[in-house]
Amino acid sequence: MNATLVIEWVVKSLVIILVLTGGFAYTTLYERKVLARMQVRRGPNRAGPLGILQPVADGIKLIFKEELTPHNADKFIFTVAPVITVVPALVITAVVPWGREISLFGRTFTLYLSNVNVAVLYILSVTSISVYGITLAGWSSNNKYATLGGVRATAQMISYELALGCAYIGPILIVGSMSLVDIVEAQAGVWFIFLQPVAFLVYFLASLAEVNRAPFDMPEAEQELTAGYHTEYSGMKFALFFMAEYIKMIAVAMIGVSLFLGGYLGPGIDRFPILGPVYLFIKVAVWLFVIIWVRATLPRIRYDRLMALGWKVMFPLALLSVMITALVLLFVES
Amino acid sequence: MTIMQIIFLITASVTLFAALMVVSTRKMMHAAMWLILVLFGVTITFALLETRFFAIVQLVIYIGAIAILIIFAVMLTRRSMNADVPQVNRNWWLVMVSSLALFVGLVTVMSVWEGFFVTARTAPPGGENLVQLGTALVDPNGFVLPFEVASLVLLAAMVGAIYVAAERKEK
Amino acid sequence: MTQQVLAKQVQEVFARFSDGVVEDQRVGYQGYIVAPEHLLDFARALRDECGYDYLTTVTGVDYLADGKMEVVYHAFKTLGGPALEFKVQTNRQNPIVPSLALIYPSAELQEREIWDLFGIRFEGHPDLRRILLWEGFYGHPLRKDWKEPYFEEVAKPFKSRFPDGKVYRAEDKHPLKDNIDFPEGFDPAKWEAEGDAALYKALTNIPGADEPGIKTEQIILNFGPQHPSTHGVFRMAVLLDGETIVNLKHVLGYLHRNHEKIGERNTYIQNMPFTDRLDYITSMSNNFGYAVAVEKLMGIQPPERAEYLRVMMAEFTRVISHLMSIGFLLNDLGAFFTPMMYALEEREMILDVFEAVSGSRMMCNYFRFGGVAHDVPDYIFDKIKGLVFERLPRRVDEIDAYLTKNEIIRARCEGVGVLTPEQAIALGVSGPLLRGSGVPYDIRRAEPYSIYDRLDFDVVFTEHGDVYDRYLVRLEEIRQSIRILQQVVKQMPEGPIQIGKSTYQVKVPPGEAYGRVEAPKGELGFYLVSDGKPNPYRYHVRSPSFVNLGALAPMSIGSKVADAVVNLGSIDIVLGEVDR
Repeated sequence: MNATLVIEWVVKSLVIILVLTGGFAYTTLYERKVLARMQVRRGPNRAGPLGILQPVADGIKLIFKEELTPHNADKFIFTVAPVITVVPALVITAVVPWGREISLFGRTFTLYLSNVNVAVLYILSVTSISVYGITLAGWSSNNKYATLGGVRATAQMISYELALGCAYIGPILIVGSMSLVDIVEAQAGVWFIFLQPVAFLVYFLASLAEVNRAPFDMPEAEQELTAGYHTEYSGMKFALFFMAEYIKMIAVAMIGVSLFLGGYLGPGIDRFPILGPVYLFIKVAVWLFVIIWVRATLPRIRYDRLMALGWKVMFPLALLSVMITALVLLFVES
Repeated sequence: MTIMQIIFLITASVTLFAALMVVSTRKMMHAAMWLILVLFGVTITFALLETRFFAIVQLVIYIGAIAILIIFAVMLTRRSMNADVPQVNRNWWLVMVSSLALFVGLVTVMSVWEGFFVTARTAPPGGENLVQLGTALVDPNGFVLPFEVASLVLLAAMVGAIYVAAERKEK
Repeated sequence: MTQQVLAKQVQEVFARFSDGVVEDQRVGYQGYIVAPEHLLDFARALRDECGYDYLTTVTGVDYLADGKMEVVYHAFKTLGGPALEFKVQTNRQNPIVPSLALIYPSAELQEREIWDLFGIRFEGHPDLRRILLWEGFYGHPLRKDWKEPYFEEVAKPFKSRFPDGKVYRAEDKHPLKDNIDFPEGFDPAKWEAEGDAALYKALTNIPGADEPGIKTEQIILNFGPQHPSTHGVFRMAVLLDGETIVNLKHVLGYLHRNHEKIGERNTYIQNMPFTDRLDYITSMSNNFGYAVAVEKLMGIQPPERAEYLRVMMAEFTRVISHLMSIGFLLNDLGAFFTPMMYALEEREMILDVFEAVSGSRMMCNYFRFGGVAHDVPDYIFDKIKGLVFERLPRRVDEIDAYLTKNEIIRARCEGVGVLTPEQAIALGVSGPLLRGSGVPYDIRRAEPYSIYDRLDFDVVFTEHGDVYDRYLVRLEEIRQSIRILQQVVKQMPEGPIQIGKSTYQVKVPPGEAYGRVEAPKGELGFYLVSDGKPNPYRYHVRSPSFVNLGALAPMSIGSKVADAVVNLGSIDIVLGEVDR
């Protein structure tokens, strides 16, 4: 373990965090612009040319906003909850590869932070922790809307984690490794979306539920629960929840792209490895566009139907997909 | 003392302290939080033993699933917000005696169990072999019987849970 | 045929109550005066034997000079036809009238309103609380001898004024000094708002709650007054068992400004712009209702071209209102504003027309007694043609194509908030809510006013009575409105738009009149009493949203929280009209 390696890790971690937080800011702008276009309006266009400074303005506003803590709230948990939400979101993409090895300053870098053989399990464990922030935020606010929102979030996320976990298994079975680098490299011939269409569909829907996006944005169902678990949050604490949601959106898009859409692979990647992050970025942008499109188009599913969909449709479907994959693999091998 | 040992000592003491707090704190939600810290300490202990798989499974299952269910139950409990609930009921001495007995029993058994004194084998380089673990679980010569028994127990529990929770038509 | 048989039955009923029911003999008055002790039997006979099953309007009048208070009922047949009006008189000192809430559930909310504003007690009313004003309000403001109570609270912004500071009271500044009244023994330092104890008591008072069985804890959740999906400052107090609604009470009055009291102070023509503020989305329809009522009282008819212009504006208003209603319903379903924006785009086009004819986009103030204010300029007429023949039909089809068959919408709307036809009639609901429940009752057909008897359109109705059906009714009614608009545009006659010359002061003979129109949200009625003075003696607005809200609790009890929001959206309320 030499010093340069440590420096390399630190730099890579910093880059990931910076890209994610910057990505969060501009995803909000991206979403607002796309939504506006879909809703016959213009969207933010005042701060900077085409509104590109809008996230900065939003950020400044949120930082300077007064933060309120309800009198009867559990102060410690109330303060810690947003942090618990945002940290898993930031670390979740540590195992997602951005590209192959590149040479820079006379050194060869790998374009990923770590290549662990339990990468997929790592993702699962981190997502399972991220439920805590929302649950605790809901409880500690000591507010009925927030508590209901927290309870809903917990139930929803646990339910959809199962389907999500099963959706991972298909690609893992095919590749025989849980490392995302191996999984991406195995898609050089054909993307797994074509081999695992059911798993892809389940992953897409379950990931929407996992990050609380429409039409599964139950925990913060505005029409019933005002703002759900973050009803009582304001200022920077609120911004952290907001940040966590968008970073998780980017994260599930990155993971989904790596699992099913060939990750950083694309034409010419062998000659120019530097294209890897570009392809990843493009694919993630398309994925995010679909998520936003869904939000602009679909109404929300009712909560009990959402749970029924998770347990009675998605989970069995994912299991079935796993079984068929396993059988086919067995058949092909023998 | 190596860095690993220092980390282990810190982890162990934090875990034990958290375990004490689980039973001594007054707010139910705080007790649940301390419990999560305990489970997290165990995770780190697994990681120190270079078993990434077990560490992560511990994280996913205990912290990600079981503890969240406990929190879920606490959230639905009345008065989970205030701390003025009595901490003990009148049978506290019974519990104390039985837990002391259990502790003494455990110490006695462990002090004579020879497996306790065997030096652990070093893990193979590159972490544990997951394929081997997986095969062992479904190998007829391995652990298939306990594995299947465990699944049967879980199935029975699931059926029971559904039976308890199912809405019954009123008359 | 049916009409005759029923008429005979009415006569029989009147004969039976010969001693207790007399015709109203006052000049300019119609209907019958029923003795309080016969009221319940008479109403039951009317409902069960004569077919007057649809009691839409209940209101009160305070005849201070005669020392009497009067409760006025307007009952209709759901088969159509004019109203049967009956009244009950009571003394002013201790006014008590038997409640009709159990015979006509539609009376429940309106009797609460009368208790609130007139202080008439209704014996046997299940839940007689104030409705528009808050518990603890002093007095009943629509009584003619009511004076404004004056509360000097410590919490008022000028803390220094009370108790030590310089006392500087509003009544000292009031030029007349006779308009203000103090509650007896009122001590501002000790005054406390009564809070919601009465509301919560009514909410948790459920029959059968004491039955043995596993008790789960029920929580009271307040939706509103500040809540994103209550369409304004409206509040629902919900008793929840898990996510299931056990009981629901709505709390109104956060936007109450006593429209009727102000209306009784204004002259007749001054009320015309004031009606715009009732349902601020459909100001043209409100104008229409008020103009119809006053013209009934004055006995005049507007000229032909004015009638066509009126119908045109009213139908445009219906298109706007239904489009917005559909958009908001989708919002309540959780669609992120997209349908709303599409609906608003069309609304803007129509508002351009309104702006050109009346000078204002929302608060149109377009109708006059015996005509309308301005004629339609030619360039706008071309725009109207483009709208009704091309753009609107196309856009309605577009909305239809995008929304009607959407899986999530169907899953969330079908079978939700079901209102049976019997319930709908009993609750006195009107408009798309009533027709969605399978009752083909449309005032434009049931009791035609203006030129609707000459126009060709269908009364839209569906059978299931759920949220989805109400959506379908609204969508189809937009098409029917466009059909009417096309006829109106084609047949538009030339001629004057106003009889006589327009005056600031109209002469209204003494008497009473109830004029009603089919506003987009239902029956909009104006009950007017004139004593020959320049201002109305009594000015009552029977607003559709207010009465339709009575259906919210029956629809929502037993369903999920999310459905209550959708039910509210499907009722389509506008708080300006509910709270008045």
